[in-house]
Amino acid sequence: MSTDQRGVTEREPLHGPNSESSRGSLERGGRIAAATVGGAIVALGIKRRSLGGAAAALAGGWLLYRGLVGGRSGDESFDTDSASGDGRLDAVDASDAVETTRSTTIGASPDEVYERWREPETMSRLYGGLFDVTARDEDRWHWTASGPLGATVSWDTQVVEDRPGDCLRWESHENAPVSNEGQVRFREAPAGRGTELTFRFRFEPPGGSVGAAVTKRLEIVPESLAAVVLDRFKSLVETGEIPTLERNPSARGAGDLL
Amino acid sequence: MRALCWHGEEDVRVDEVPDPELVNPHDAIVEITATAICGSDLHLYDGYVPTMREGDVLGHEPMGEVVDVGSAVETLEEGDRVVVPFTISCGSCWFCEEELYSLCDNSNPNAEVARKVMGQSPAGLFGYSHMLGGYAGGQAEYLRVPFADVGPLKVESDLPDEQVLLLSDVFPTGYMAAENAEIEEDDTVAVWGCGPVGQFAIQSAWMLGAGRVVAIDRVPERLAMAREHGDAETIHFEEEDVYDRLMAMTGGRGPDRCIDAVGTEAHGTGLMGLTDKAKQQVNLEADRPHVLRQAIKCCRKGGTLSVPGVYVGHADNVPVGPLMNKALTVNTGQTHVQRYLDPLLEKIEDGDIDPSFVVTHREPLERGPEMYETFRDKEDGCVKVVLTP
Repeated sequence: MSTDQRGVTEREPLHGPNSESSRGSLERGGRIAAATVGGAIVALGIKRRSLGGAAAALAGGWLLYRGLVGGRSGDESFDTDSASGDGRLDAVDASDAVETTRSTTIGASPDEVYERWREPETMSRLYGGLFDVTARDEDRWHWTASGPLGATVSWDTQVVEDRPGDCLRWESHENAPVSNEGQVRFREAPAGRGTELTFRFRFEPPGGSVGAAVTKRLEIVPESLAAVVLDRFKSLVETGEIPTLERNPSARGAGDLL
Repeated sequence: MRALCWHGEEDVRVDEVPDPELVNPHDAIVEITATAICGSDLHLYDGYVPTMREGDVLGHEPMGEVVDVGSAVETLEEGDRVVVPFTISCGSCWFCEEELYSLCDNSNPNAEVARKVMGQSPAGLFGYSHMLGGYAGGQAEYLRVPFADVGPLKVESDLPDEQVLLLSDVFPTGYMAAENAEIEEDDTVAVWGCGPVGQFAIQSAWMLGAGRVVAIDRVPERLAMAREHGDAETIHFEEEDVYDRLMAMTGGRGPDRCIDAVGTEAHGTGLMGLTDKAKQQVNLEADRPHVLRQAIKCCRKGGTLSVPGVYVGHADNVPVGPLMNKALTVNTGQTHVQRYLDPLLEKIEDGDIDPSFVVTHREPLERGPEMYETFRDKEDGCVKVVLTP
């Protein structure tokens, strides 16, 4: 960790302990990760029922299928916790990474917007229903995605660049099953409109290169994820709450939830 | 509770669904005492609005009594009598601050879906598809109202429900349509469509200084209403050529201001009308823009076209050349309802207008499914239906 003259803190990426996991559990971890993320995408896609939603459901369905086929013989509830197992997929290389950038304008100053992003409960509110996020400390978040059959996949991220009112960047643990990094930048918007927030994230999707190609081509999943996170954050800052259809009455039996 | 739910094209049912609950701090729960069926609900009924889901609770013209409020609600309390606007608006974003309430940035939980279709997302609406929020509607016993400090209008006088209910949508929508038409003193205003929005556009055109109002429809009782209540001259578009008649009425100039209060399900005539219908059936075209075409053709050079009629997607063969070469101004938009609530309530309280003149049918909620059909088919003299849960 070092601090430069502008008071900017640079942190080294976190390197966790490498376990001695077998090749078998490696593949199994990858499949569970694929099934988990795929399942989440299917859920999102079906919920949307739009063209984009249908495409997301398709992409998610493929990952789900890939994840489940061949995974039947293994322990279905295997948990690829980033601290104990190397669940990284062997088929994924740097070219499979999906990167997305989205911007929104928020009616508050860059400093206020930054402060709000840094509040400990903000991440869990932004990602609620997509991932479970808890703060391990102010710079470290623990992420868990839940999939079908009780399978979960989890990883940690660590803040690696922190410039209050300007930008924040984080990276996943080197051996995280879903390798990812993200960044938010805050810029003052013209005409007193507040702050232009740009959110960039990059991840290496589970499911190998084919799954990545599907995800990449459709440009649906990361795009939608970024959009949902930004929409929720903007609403939280501007109104103090996030619009929701939770417990929405309908004749579908369980309200609006799947 | 009981609610009218959408189950598919021409399939609306009374279902037992869970009661709504307070979810967010700015929510309120309203027990509905009166709720109307809107012409734009017919686009849902006929299956033209994408992103409806089986089981969705319908309705966006409700009023009732507040029975519960969230911890952050400041202006309402239990027992208040309120009219609920169909637009859900946060009151805090740039658009709400500019009084462009139907463009609220924060009320649509499915904003990304709308963004994919339109580029940006407008406000969430009650009971009007998942692209526009996915919120349960108000044709039900109870309604959850998000951002309850911003939407609901408190009615403190003892005016009956029927006189204030239509402030939820059609009265402000007709008024904004007339405002968007940029009417100047003694202008001739043509209004396509004599449903409730058209009727209120006619009334509002007079309020804003029109010298002459021409109403166009094909349903005899609507035309009669426009003549009797709206003091309008009328054109039955199946019996007369609308362009020829309007030119004859205006010395060949065309009406100064044209209002399309019809939208996507216009009953077009001739080959183009048939083509629209066929394309819409096979999803080659989302809308039937017959009225839009006709209004562009008829409007006076340099005139204004106001579009309160609901369109849902893409339309073919809209004459952009004539629009540009005739230097027309076009104003559109879902109604910024909150902007009109107080001034229009004042007009009702002062006795300037009694909006209940459009109401032809009063029925219990249970009769909702039949009423959708009756209203769609314009049977039994049906212009406006009010349901009581």
